[in-house]
Amino acid sequence: MALALRSSILCHIRVPISLNLPRLTAVRSMSSSHDDHLDKKEVVDRVLEVIKSFPKVDPSKVTPDVHFQKDLGLDSLDSVEIVMALEEEFKLEIPDKEADKIDSCPLAIEYIHNHPMSS
Amino acid sequence: MGAATKPRLSGMQKQVLALYRGFLRAARTKSPEERSRIEAIVSQEFRRNSLEVDRKNFLYIEYLVRRGKKQLDQLKSPETVGLVSLNVEASQIKKS
Repeated sequence: MALALRSSILCHIRVPISLNLPRLTAVRSMSSSHDDHLDKKEVVDRVLEVIKSFPKVDPSKVTPDVHFQKDLGLDSLDSVEIVMALEEEFKLEIPDKEADKIDSCPLAIEYIHNHPMSS
Repeated sequence: MGAATKPRLSGMQKQVLALYRGFLRAARTKSPEERSRIEAIVSQEFRRNSLEVDRKNFLYIEYLVRRGKKQLDQLKSPETVGLVSLNVEASQIKKS
């Protein structure tokens, strides 16, 4: 019951959150009520886990600050695959416009942490 | 310097990546075995083209994107259960 209520509310808040990434930082400071939401540490751990399990990635190079292409030697097609894998891990659907911008761990963590539907 | 403000991806790159994403999404709707097969074929195809096709050959890339979109539409149909690839491509591509 509470769950159903929660998701129906979350459905409505979803729209304002899907702004451009540069503005996400601002959005985040405004909505400090992340109480029942995934905490940052968990998001970071799970994001790193997904990236480490990517076949072309050397797991020892993966840190929360890595850039997919500059640090991990991946190309844009690999980035797409990683973002898709993250979508599945957190049960999200990331629109193309946002997905194109996610090219590093920090951006991925930021986006997922701020996404009300991530679970 | 100006590079910082320059968009990271060109419009055409975005189209290609969106198409790739579309294929991976469509693959999710199929059975697990088909899904991994589709993913393998699709990723192989995109990678091969990314190496073989000159990045300035816009006309040809546009053609490939259009063709890909049609193939994606077919793949999306629930009646389509999987993908089969034929290796006739190699001979067709021999520089026109």
